[in-house]
Amino acid sequence: MKRAPYEAPENMGLKKIWKSAADRNDAKARAASAAQEFKAGAVGDVVVQTLDESNARLGRRGFLGFGAATAALVTEACARRPVEKILPYTKAPEYVIPGVANHYATLIDTRGELVGALVESHEGRPTKVEGNADHPTSNGATDLLMQASVMDLYDPDRSGTARQGGKPVDGKLFDDALADIIKASRADGGTKLRVLMRPASSPTVVRLRDSLKDNGLQHVRVHAYAPVSDANVREGAKVSFGQAVTPIYDLQRSRVTLSVDCDFLLTEPGSVRNARSFARGRKLMAPADPMNRLYVVEPGSTVTGGNADHRLRLPARDADAYLRALASELGANGIELGALKAAVAGPKPANIPDKWIKVVAKDLVANKGKCLVIAGRRQPSHVHALVNALNTALDNVGVTVSYAPVVDTSDISDLKTLCDDMDAGKVESLLIIGGNPVYDAPGDLAFAGKLAKVKNTLHVSGHFDETSEKCTWHCPMPHELESWGDGRALDGTWSIRQPMIAPLHGGRNEFEIWAMLVGAPPSPYNLVRETFKSSLVASANFEAAWSKALQSGLVDKSNSTQFQASATLDDVATMLGKNKLPTAPIGSGNVELNFASDTRMHDGKHANNPWLQELPDPMTKLVWDNAACISPKTAKALGVASGDMVNLSRGNVTVEIGVWVQPGVADDCVQLSLGWGRTSVGRYGNGRGFDVSPLRSFASMGFVDGAKMTPSGKTYDLVQTQDHFSMEGRPIALDATLDQYRDNPEFVKYRSPTPKTLPLWDRVQYTGHKWGMAFDMNACTGCNACVVACTSENNVAFVGKDQVYRGREMHWLRIDRYYSDDNTYGDNTVEGSDGQQDLPANPPVMFQPIACVHCEEAPCENVCPVNATAHSPEGLNDMAYNRCIGTRYCGNNCPYKVRRFNFLNWRGEMYGDMPETEKMQFNPNVTVRMRGVMEKCSYCVQRIEEGKIGARRDGRTLGGNDIVSACQQACPSEAIVFGDLNDPNSKVAQWHKTDRAYAVLADIGTHPRTMHLGKVRNPNKEMV
Amino acid sequence: MSNRPIKALGETYLTDEGMSFHEVSEVVASVTEKKAPRNWWIAFMLAFTFTGVFGMAVGYLVWQGVGVWGNNAPVYWAWDITNFVWWIGIGHAGTLISAVLFLFRQKWRTGINRAAEAMTIFAVICALMFPGIHVGRPWLAYYMFPLPNQMAIWPNFKSPLIWDLFAVSTYFTVSTMFWYVGLIPDLALLRDRAAKMTGKFAMIRMRAYGFFSLGWRGANRHWQNYERAYMILAALSTPLVLSVHSVVSFDFATSVEPGWHSTIFPPYFVAGAVFSGFAMVMTLMIIVRAVYGMESVITIKHLELMNKIMLTTGSLVGYAYGMEFFIAYYSGNQYERYVFFNRATGPYWWAYWTMITCNVISPQLFWSKKLRTSIPVMFAVSIFINIGMWFERFVIIVTSLHRDFMPSSWGYYRPTAVDLCTYLGTLGLFFTLFLLFIRWVPMVAIAEVKGILPQADPHEGEHAYDDHHEGDAEPALAPGE
Repeated sequence: MKRAPYEAPENMGLKKIWKSAADRNDAKARAASAAQEFKAGAVGDVVVQTLDESNARLGRRGFLGFGAATAALVTEACARRPVEKILPYTKAPEYVIPGVANHYATLIDTRGELVGALVESHEGRPTKVEGNADHPTSNGATDLLMQASVMDLYDPDRSGTARQGGKPVDGKLFDDALADIIKASRADGGTKLRVLMRPASSPTVVRLRDSLKDNGLQHVRVHAYAPVSDANVREGAKVSFGQAVTPIYDLQRSRVTLSVDCDFLLTEPGSVRNARSFARGRKLMAPADPMNRLYVVEPGSTVTGGNADHRLRLPARDADAYLRALASELGANGIELGALKAAVAGPKPANIPDKWIKVVAKDLVANKGKCLVIAGRRQPSHVHALVNALNTALDNVGVTVSYAPVVDTSDISDLKTLCDDMDAGKVESLLIIGGNPVYDAPGDLAFAGKLAKVKNTLHVSGHFDETSEKCTWHCPMPHELESWGDGRALDGTWSIRQPMIAPLHGGRNEFEIWAMLVGAPPSPYNLVRETFKSSLVASANFEAAWSKALQSGLVDKSNSTQFQASATLDDVATMLGKNKLPTAPIGSGNVELNFASDTRMHDGKHANNPWLQELPDPMTKLVWDNAACISPKTAKALGVASGDMVNLSRGNVTVEIGVWVQPGVADDCVQLSLGWGRTSVGRYGNGRGFDVSPLRSFASMGFVDGAKMTPSGKTYDLVQTQDHFSMEGRPIALDATLDQYRDNPEFVKYRSPTPKTLPLWDRVQYTGHKWGMAFDMNACTGCNACVVACTSENNVAFVGKDQVYRGREMHWLRIDRYYSDDNTYGDNTVEGSDGQQDLPANPPVMFQPIACVHCEEAPCENVCPVNATAHSPEGLNDMAYNRCIGTRYCGNNCPYKVRRFNFLNWRGEMYGDMPETEKMQFNPNVTVRMRGVMEKCSYCVQRIEEGKIGARRDGRTLGGNDIVSACQQACPSEAIVFGDLNDPNSKVAQWHKTDRAYAVLADIGTHPRTMHLGKVRNPNKEMV
Repeated sequence: MSNRPIKALGETYLTDEGMSFHEVSEVVASVTEKKAPRNWWIAFMLAFTFTGVFGMAVGYLVWQGVGVWGNNAPVYWAWDITNFVWWIGIGHAGTLISAVLFLFRQKWRTGINRAAEAMTIFAVICALMFPGIHVGRPWLAYYMFPLPNQMAIWPNFKSPLIWDLFAVSTYFTVSTMFWYVGLIPDLALLRDRAAKMTGKFAMIRMRAYGFFSLGWRGANRHWQNYERAYMILAALSTPLVLSVHSVVSFDFATSVEPGWHSTIFPPYFVAGAVFSGFAMVMTLMIIVRAVYGMESVITIKHLELMNKIMLTTGSLVGYAYGMEFFIAYYSGNQYERYVFFNRATGPYWWAYWTMITCNVISPQLFWSKKLRTSIPVMFAVSIFINIGMWFERFVIIVTSLHRDFMPSSWGYYRPTAVDLCTYLGTLGLFFTLFLLFIRWVPMVAIAEVKGILPQADPHEGEHAYDDHHEGDAEPALAPGE
């Protein structure tokens, strides 16, 4: 709006009026002032005026305009916030009671094995995973990956959209593209279409795959690949039994177990059930109780080795030679070996002590029919065949080991065939369902390069990962907690997987993809029901059987297919004859690399899980990284220390990796774990640790020799949660041998006595509930499941590598790992020092779980200036977060150092604001602590209160065992009990009364409520 | 006996011989009246800059959380409490000099007591910052005060931190009162001198000093009340000298931590506090007397006497160090033994041996009269002691915490830049306040110095004394005569 100043035209007869004499006399000034007053565009030019200094005044109109605008804005700013009404359920969803969690039975994939689980769900939001007590693989317990799987579900970096050539597209386009490929492939029966899948454990997937031909795709080849698999076990079984089976162990009945390169307590399949039965076989409630014995032969340092009564460090390659020598010795001791006897004859390997053959064989023979030999899944198939033969010869089948048929019995092609065909141009379209072969395929296959030769590549996966990046199409795959499904556990138990929540990011799960391939409607629910319908169990009353299977989490008696088979010794002998022992000795010029499922990342599937990133490895205690673990002697010879980097080279591949000097590793062996060094997984996992897959060889996935290791001169920051492993002779984690224990059942009380002093005041008498806990260090395998369970239950924050380096990790419950300088294993020599302490070569290990011990005379309580930590009438050492101002005095005065302080705002500062999905994981019954507040184990006070409320509502008395803490519930080896000490029938009261029970640091007079039960080892006198 | 002129006791004068009352007034009061020297401005700007650094460091700390410092688990306390105890310790000398030496009638205190008291107050201000800022949620630090509240929660009176809070705030209050009461006659002097001044600000000066001198006219009644009040406050302050640092030591001694849980702590801390306080007074006095030409009032005699006290307390502290080791060995307690072994040989050995060198070895130089009267030597030693006493607190706090009962939880503490800025910032704040003090407040107790001049004694010039006259030696002085 522009307006020209009104100029009175001359000679119009109008009077001229001046404002002042000066105005009249100076026409120029008059014109200027008039122009100023009615300046053109006085409103529109406001901004220009303010910018132009000569016209810096705000015009009248501009002023009014600004004023009005300001007033309008101010008025707007003062308006009430828009009303956002929340409404209660008018029609409540069935089974949802706000504030009360529901538990649903489902199946969780851990390390490629399916374990039954119960998932806790708050108003439709899964927050925690528990084991399914009815399921034989779980028995109510879980491993650490199951506990962490709920965080995998809420991973903020999961793929949320289909992609074509890396660009987000509508999911429908992917469906169309797949449909087009299928349509085109039908012309020739799918000769040029390939499918790459993970080894199947789902009957539905197998059923669908086998019906590909019904859709005109009879020539489609399906390949299966997993970087860590049971393929060797199955191949071995085929030789010894004529069919692929999975061995199922009953360690409780085994008096003597020989584990050869097998971490059956943590990273091998069946670990949850193995841990329970193993621990039950050595639970000593009285000195007269029997106790099993474990011999471990292994190259690296594992949790199973940490629980061994005798442990031999041996390169993985030499396990074969050891077992042959042992078999030969068994034959000499009267065990019937048949044709095997000749096959195993040969000179004794030089690097194996005589005792390990003679005495172990003697011990096995003495326990014939109640002993067990186990080999790890990375050992070659003929070793498994030999182990099957030994168990047969030792009459163990049916007692300590039985066999279950595998789900997928078809001869499925492997990854190498696929690579060769891709290279030869025989593949036009490749559909990859799950998995991440670009990242995890062995280096010598050069998978990524060959993939580029395929015209259409489609990848269905949870993340837009390394493989997705190289594929033409990507489709997100929902998490297992979001999808229907089914599967058989190791022992054959068949369970239905129920979705806990609608898919957060959409996508297609494997059942849908298979359905599309076979031309069925992509409804996993109906597909699973069809499989179920066709089975015999459900034929009578389908709906009732279906509901029952959903409720209990398993199909009744579906594991009855287990059987006892005897190995055919002749076939095993033939196979051994074909496999010669290697001759070149392992040494500094011929280093062995052995690869295993990482304790936390498995094969990299969990790389973006911050709980697992921050979970210390049970042995190395490293967080946020993996490393090349080498023995102190090897490190000394190489001139490297922890934190230096080395080049590992094999053939033309070299990987630079940080070194960790780890007591217990065999000399000239490098213990490597898979699953690290991801580049495209998300904010937590990218660039963490080192990818060692390039060093692997498809022919020998588990270990290779012929590698070279040279220092690279660089260093790398490796961070531990516990960097002092020596107990400095202090009575903290106490142990004794079985003989010592039987001689002096109260050995713990002599070493850690409670002071007998006259009390200065009357001790409080707890008349109601008196909560207490006990950790049995004899049962604890050190697996870390409890630590993740606690993190999940109690909203414990993760803090990142840098903050752990500063000593600020937040775990309420930790497992301390100490090395003993006892020479039980015969070769525990001191090999240098890490600057703090001597490095032992092969030390016995102690695992000591410890959380707040809820001292009755708590040193933390009387130093808090504001009464923020105080005792409850039931003896809990409570934290009042609202009251805490953060003086940290309690942390200083805690002798057990179990208090954790929120030094910073862990939820907001680490990686920007906390993602919304991660917030969904929070347990609504536990406060999320802000920065500046001290926290620690509460004995799961929310569970105690829930139990008390429930008991009061039902009008019953709360029993001493009714409350189960999160750590206790997760523990696969039943090493933790919690309950009411005032109930004499409670387990915890009984455990506290056993002779092995002692209070850690009792001499300070803290009277802790948590007791530890001393560890007892069962060495063979002839071995020492 | 002490009322006899010093000369009669065979001692030397405590000021330059022949100094008159007026000269004393002139030397001291003129500092506040003349333009500030260039060096004052340089020092002030520097100190003020560091105060700004302190502000920023604390602002960042409050915004982000204690994690910006290097504190961790198990070293939950580190530089924060080290600085706190260090400043409290420094704050000890003032009250000791003014109250205890007053009661013991050590007349030489007059030359240094004003500045020492000011130093005390500023040091305690620096110290009192830390309980407020070192907590995780500083905006709730008031929970430590016994304020009635609807939650009906009181502070935990069993906690040594609460004792500490009361002890230090009581000390601060009494010290401030004591200092201010002592200032009144001198402020009146400044007021009266301002009345004779000309210039723009003379009136403001007069009004301001007039306000703070509370209408002091130097009447006999005033002097009587003044002396009584001063005596009462001295008597109140004296136990505080012992109690404050004893209570501070309870923060450690009542805990269960090996290396902290020790009965020697109260006397050991008090001796250390006096030691460090005197060192800081010495550092400041040497600078001040050189810059403002106060050699006539703060004589080498004063400095030598202070050095003797430092030698004594330094040796006491050294004894305590030795005794701690002996008791750790003799107790047979392995945790105690390890802590002390670790102090001397562990990862923080350098801190321990810095402490020993500075606190035990360096004051031994003062056995030699030549060295204890040499300004450069005593300046260097005083700086050494300041450093050594900081390290003493660091050693007690950090080396005990970093390796205590559970070897699995042992850790290591590294300070961050924010730690350093916070510490340097408190030094900035301290010197800012101290420089403002010497600029605007008489830094030597004028009235008291006049009281120890020979001519203040009614019997000055008499050749024979008899005890009948004792008690007549009231200094009959009017301010600004």
